[in-house]
Amino acid sequence: MPSLIDIRRRVRSVRNTQQITKAMKMISAAKLRRAQERALAARPYAAMLQQILANVAEAASQSPDSGAHPLLATRPEKNVLLVVVTADRGLAGAFNTNLLKLAQRFVSENRDKNITFEAIGRKGRDYFRRREGKIAGDHADMMKQLSVDYSDKIAHGIIERFATGEVDAVYLFVNEFKSVMAPTLRESRLLPIEVPKSSSPADYIYEQKPEELLGSLLPKYIKGQIYGALLESVAAEHAARMTAMDAASSNASDMIDNLTLHMNRVRQASITREIIEIVSGAAAQG
Amino acid sequence: MADTFQIDIATPEKLVLSERVESAQIPGKDGYMGILPGHAALLSELGAGVLSVTVGGKTQDFAISGGFVEVRDDRVRVLADRAE
Repeated sequence: MPSLIDIRRRVRSVRNTQQITKAMKMISAAKLRRAQERALAARPYAAMLQQILANVAEAASQSPDSGAHPLLATRPEKNVLLVVVTADRGLAGAFNTNLLKLAQRFVSENRDKNITFEAIGRKGRDYFRRREGKIAGDHADMMKQLSVDYSDKIAHGIIERFATGEVDAVYLFVNEFKSVMAPTLRESRLLPIEVPKSSSPADYIYEQKPEELLGSLLPKYIKGQIYGALLESVAAEHAARMTAMDAASSNASDMIDNLTLHMNRVRQASITREIIEIVSGAAAQG
Repeated sequence: MADTFQIDIATPEKLVLSERVESAQIPGKDGYMGILPGHAALLSELGAGVLSVTVGGKTQDFAISGGFVEVRDDRVRVLADRAE
């Protein structure tokens, strides 16, 4: 049976851990709020861009001399690029694991293809490096200072690789921020672009040719998608960490309760034993 | 004809302006465009320059660069790479 001192030590250590998880939870909550604001602020741009793109694509497809834009070209998928957005750090529940599992499933279902990875976030990079996946791009430690410029740089590299024919398709794996409780996993095809359908085509005056406009809209669209995905992922990461740390704190509290109860029982048992010893000793003498 | 129209200026980071205004001067790729209420649907690339909107005699300026502008149904949407 563990002695009183052992149990007391245990309680103290659990309490220390609980303090850390509590602090992490509060930090994540604050960061989540900021990340959420940024993700929300970026939405109008993305929505507008999508609508304009739909309209322009419609117009461009009707014009006679429209050679299909290189970013719309569908080729047989032999070389595939997976863009996997994970967090830089762990302790966020199943946040990274679930996403990597999804990506891993894609890999095992497509053994015949030549798959390379663009790992955004340290966790994803480490995972694929251990598994000896081919990592084309590695962007660790940029999540906490997410900027449009950096995101555009990543997007630019991806677009380039697709346009030159180095890869035939690009898939994006990302945790989407739906609610605080549960991040939703999303797997989507980034390239070739599937042009959104226009709900209400309009007859525009075009200052430039529709094909020309399309040429500059499409890369913007990809950049927007990637930036949006990164923002969502950051928000989802903080939400996941907050939930995980909340669960950890309450588990620690349960553990402290149980240990305290146990400790009191042990103490009481030893007092009772001592009394019995004294009483029986007295009785033997008397 | 309404005497104002809705203008939204958005960058990838945030919505910069969303207001009803009387007129707007927008730097297109091939020169400045003046937009008044009731303008026909238009789509253009943006150049770098100063976008100014007028409401109630007061003018507000934004430095913008790169992007697109869409005019449609008395609604102007400016998608700029940068706007300040």
